[in-house]
Amino acid sequence: MKKRTIILSTLMLFFSLGIFAQSAERYVTDKTHIKFFSTTPAEDIEAHNYSTTGTISTNGNFAFSVPMQGFEFEKSLMQKHFNQDKFLDTQQFPTGRLVGKISNIETIDFATPGTYDALIEGELTIRGVTNKIKETGQLTVGNNGLTANSVFNITLADYGVEFVKGKPSKNIAKTVEVTVLAEYVPQ
Amino acid sequence: MKKSKWIKIIAAVAVAGLLIGGGIGAWMFFMPHRDVQKTTTDFKLTTTELVTEYLGDWQGSNDKYLAADGNSKVLEVTGTVARVSNDFSGRKVVLLQEKGQKAGVNCTFLHETDKQAAALTQGDVVTIKGVIRSGASFDADLDMYVHAVIEKSAVVQ
Repeated sequence: MKKRTIILSTLMLFFSLGIFAQSAERYVTDKTHIKFFSTTPAEDIEAHNYSTTGTISTNGNFAFSVPMQGFEFEKSLMQKHFNQDKFLDTQQFPTGRLVGKISNIETIDFATPGTYDALIEGELTIRGVTNKIKETGQLTVGNNGLTANSVFNITLADYGVEFVKGKPSKNIAKTVEVTVLAEYVPQ
Repeated sequence: MKKSKWIKIIAAVAVAGLLIGGGIGAWMFFMPHRDVQKTTTDFKLTTTELVTEYLGDWQGSNDKYLAADGNSKVLEVTGTVARVSNDFSGRKVVLLQEKGQKAGVNCTFLHETDKQAAALTQGDVVTIKGVIRSGASFDADLDMYVHAVIEKSAVVQ
């Protein structure tokens, strides 16, 4: 009888540990919108990308993989310049990425629908150059998934994109605004 | 030749140069985007062939399919419809992926061709023409396979 109780208790313990040891729930997205916006006295330029893939876990880890040739500009000449080796060199570096963690994940209740402020810490890689970022965003918990959004600025020179003369130096801002929107579904 | 005649000739050449230069500049600046659907197809292949090629040699495939100025290769890809959805711009996105395949090809349609995509259902075998934006890969950061991306798509009739 005692032996049976020990076996049962051991099984229950393993079962409980199994539940608590389950990996964090993961959400995936390929419904995204990433926007670059540059403003100078000469002109406003924006580019849109709708083909990014991303994941986010309830432990706060997240990642985005951005196909750089997916950015669309109003003018084809701008799009060509964007892709060329003097700018983003998208043939050599076809993917941008943002990888990090929501540092205040304990304040986000994935079981309760609502909008939560998120503190984002991670690494942004563009043109093969990686820089640390620390930004803010919002995570909206819905009944069937999540929506994430964030707006932040990046300095192009930090990623090896710098124009010292010519039209681009007047028309492209040194710092551009990046907007990220993603709609996740459970994996 | 009189001096005044030379001046007239030089002035005429200068004006013509300015007009031609300005015209070329304006044409470059306002040049429309390439019409992918009117562009000659570079490669015809199946989703399995494209995905396998990329998973086998990602860098070599990028060199083969992606262009430095972003006007990358125009493909006709044949495969099985796994999903039809909308992106944030309201355009239709058709995922071509075979059963058991690690990754597929996400084809974003144009507003003008959206109706073709809306008529597709899961399991249809279809050929879609578009420009490649990125290839399939296993992404260690995402810990998952990422689909190839084709844009400016339309169904090949």
